[in-house]
Amino acid sequence: MTKLEEHKPQLGGGSRAALPAAGSEPTDGPADSPTPRLARLPMILGRIKGSLRRSGVLLLRWVLRPAGHWLDRRRRGVRRRWRTSLQFRTVLVTLLIAFIALVGVGAYLSSQIANGLFQERLQQAKQESSRGISQVQESFDNAQLSDVPAASTYVRDTLKLLEVGGTDDTRRYLMVLVPGQNNSLFVATVSSGGITPAIIPDELRSAVQGHSGQYWQSMSLSAGSNEEHPALAVGSNVNLLGTHYELYLIYDLNNAQATLNYIQSVLWLGGGILLLLIGGIALYVTRNVVLPISQAAAVAEKLASGQLQERMVVRGEDEVARLASSFNRMANSLQEQINQLAALSHMQQSFVSDVSHELRTPLTTVRMAAEVLFDARDSFDPVNKRSAELLYHQVERFQALLADLLEISRFDAGAAVLDAEPGDIYAVIHNVMEGAQPLAERCGSVLNLAAATDIYGSVVDMDPRRIDRILRNLVVNALEHGDGKPVEIFVASDADTIAVAVRDHGIGMSAGEVTRAFDRFWRADPARARTTGGSGLGLAIATEDTRLHGGLLEAWGKPGAGSCFRLTLPRRSGAAHGPSPVGLPPGGDDDASGNLHLTGEPAPAAEFEAKVTGTDPLSGRAVL
Amino acid sequence: MKARILVVDDDEALAEMIGIVLRNDGFEPFFCADGAQALAAFRSSKPDLVLLDLMLPGVDGIEVCRQIRAESDVPIVMLTAKSDTSDVVRGLESGADDYVPKPFKPAELVARVRARLRPGDQKAPETLTIADVSIDVAGHAVHRAGKKISLTPLEFDLLVALARKPWQVFTRELLLEQVWGYRHAADTRLVNVHVQRLRSKIEQDPEAPEVVLTVRGVGYRAGQ
Repeated sequence: MTKLEEHKPQLGGGSRAALPAAGSEPTDGPADSPTPRLARLPMILGRIKGSLRRSGVLLLRWVLRPAGHWLDRRRRGVRRRWRTSLQFRTVLVTLLIAFIALVGVGAYLSSQIANGLFQERLQQAKQESSRGISQVQESFDNAQLSDVPAASTYVRDTLKLLEVGGTDDTRRYLMVLVPGQNNSLFVATVSSGGITPAIIPDELRSAVQGHSGQYWQSMSLSAGSNEEHPALAVGSNVNLLGTHYELYLIYDLNNAQATLNYIQSVLWLGGGILLLLIGGIALYVTRNVVLPISQAAAVAEKLASGQLQERMVVRGEDEVARLASSFNRMANSLQEQINQLAALSHMQQSFVSDVSHELRTPLTTVRMAAEVLFDARDSFDPVNKRSAELLYHQVERFQALLADLLEISRFDAGAAVLDAEPGDIYAVIHNVMEGAQPLAERCGSVLNLAAATDIYGSVVDMDPRRIDRILRNLVVNALEHGDGKPVEIFVASDADTIAVAVRDHGIGMSAGEVTRAFDRFWRADPARARTTGGSGLGLAIATEDTRLHGGLLEAWGKPGAGSCFRLTLPRRSGAAHGPSPVGLPPGGDDDASGNLHLTGEPAPAAEFEAKVTGTDPLSGRAVL
Repeated sequence: MKARILVVDDDEALAEMIGIVLRNDGFEPFFCADGAQALAAFRSSKPDLVLLDLMLPGVDGIEVCRQIRAESDVPIVMLTAKSDTSDVVRGLESGADDYVPKPFKPAELVARVRARLRPGDQKAPETLTIADVSIDVAGHAVHRAGKKISLTPLEFDLLVALARKPWQVFTRELLLEQVWGYRHAADTRLVNVHVQRLRSKIEQDPEAPEVVLTVRGVGYRAGQ
């Protein structure tokens, strides 16, 4: 608690309002005067300021000073909680505001009480002093003294009366000769309770010495070894046998200080308890509000992760219950919709499966019959022979078309599953090249493989059946549209990505054709004879197969310069693929010769590109 | 002597057509249109090979396959209209040696049938061991820790192929060629499923195989 020494001693401003001298005061002995009460004034206000300043500094230091590594670690945790917990934030802010409010109110109350106490004591002290001093003066005026010892004894006896004047606090006195007087008969300094002239503030002394009337000032009074009490000194000029003396009455304000201390401690204790209470209330209220919210969040997360039967618990009829019930309604309708969609998808899948089965059995019979007839065609007459041939080829085409249709509807129904395992891309490519060799010979084309050797190897997570289908499709397309010119297959890879590009130097594609290349049933040139009888679904299926792998299938074309299709695959299934390590087209667009270039340049502006999956910017960094 | 082939298919036109093709190629077909009577037809006709449709009225193909497998090691080739992985795998797991997806070419069907009917080579007396499994090649018998293990001919061939070259890693394609006799890669799932089945019979713990090991990204090899 605060101490009085800290307060600047104040010279009573009320000195001008000093009580009139003796005459007007009642002449009762000091023992009859009202019990002296404590008086203190602005020192208490200052004291509170000081105490506030000190506790503020303490608090700041406590908050800011890193109390070891523990606090550093804690701070991060607290910051995280501040971000993630609404409850933590609310309680903390509430506590902070309550703390500030309590400190403010406490400081105000404390200062008011201190001021009141002091003013009361001051008034009393002034009254008692003026009464006591006027009694002393009266007694001095009536004195008939002739020698110093008699005067001393008289003065001491008179002043003794002052000492017993106070009941609450001991009142002490000091009478000292105003310096600078030439008088043979004077009394030496008289005091009680160990008061010496040294402890009387100089300001007060000079005021008392120079003027008549009553002055006061607060001061500190040493009591005991190192204890100091707040005190109030009231001084006046008295006259004994024509000699002026300063007479001080000193009131010890320790009792008032104790009262104030007690009141302050009660205030702080009460404030602390109130703070805890407010914190508790904030905790309780936010818990009540936040708990359902975090419950709703947990349930929503479960719903999002697919546990559609998850619901909130509805209790009572309040806002929280309304939140819960409307949340549950939303979950119900979500679940209904999702189940409906799932049922639809399931229906479509089983429909595809059923159609597939129902169509395939008769088709198998037809096909076998056609083949038997076809094998025996040489024994038929020319009309029947041609019919058998037509039947055979068209059944084959029908079958391919049906297979493609079923495949694409399997994709549409979401029934296609990736059966990926690590495999060598070259094994698939060689297989495809081997399979395409007869067609290449028929078209008069040469199939070339340009493989970049690199340190990453050629193993990639893939569904070999699907990758085979994609590449077979690209190679067959290239041969069919290659005008008998060489077709190249480029392979390159980096740490995350493997790419295969198939390049022909045939009729090429225009911008519109490039963008439509992946459309279903779209044909590069409707005027061209459908020599190979493709279904028109090949690239659409390849697109879906690529998408299943998380890869990218892109097309490039330039009329007269040929076209290029590039497949980019991530090495790990489920991972993202990087920029394609093969340029599009690899080695630029003007090498109608079919020579393999080992460096790639960015494609010139006159070329057309289309991507079917993703928006991966085409990199010009071909590594071939 | 003509090989006898039991065709179990409820589609009469297809069964008749298959019959024509098989007869053309010198086989002797028998027919059964009902899954419930398939086992009786199997017992009475004593075929060298069974062509079995996966979808049958009454008892379905998978169940028929299980019944036949329970009493005979005769090769079973499934005819499937559904090429969905789960159907194929279920068929193979129930004991079929191979499958032909519809629609198939007659030549393809005949090739598969011939592959399964391949007369076993005249095997020299030879005993192979992998881990604690011993294989008597000529006697067509497999023992583990003195206990006889019953394998179908296909599973036996698969095990022997691996055991003959324990230092070699076999790709699935190579196994298809050596064990099934297919030059051009058919469905490698055939190998996967048969390896699973083989493991379930010869391994102490099929989850932690010691006899037939997987070489990730490549294929399989025999354990030490």
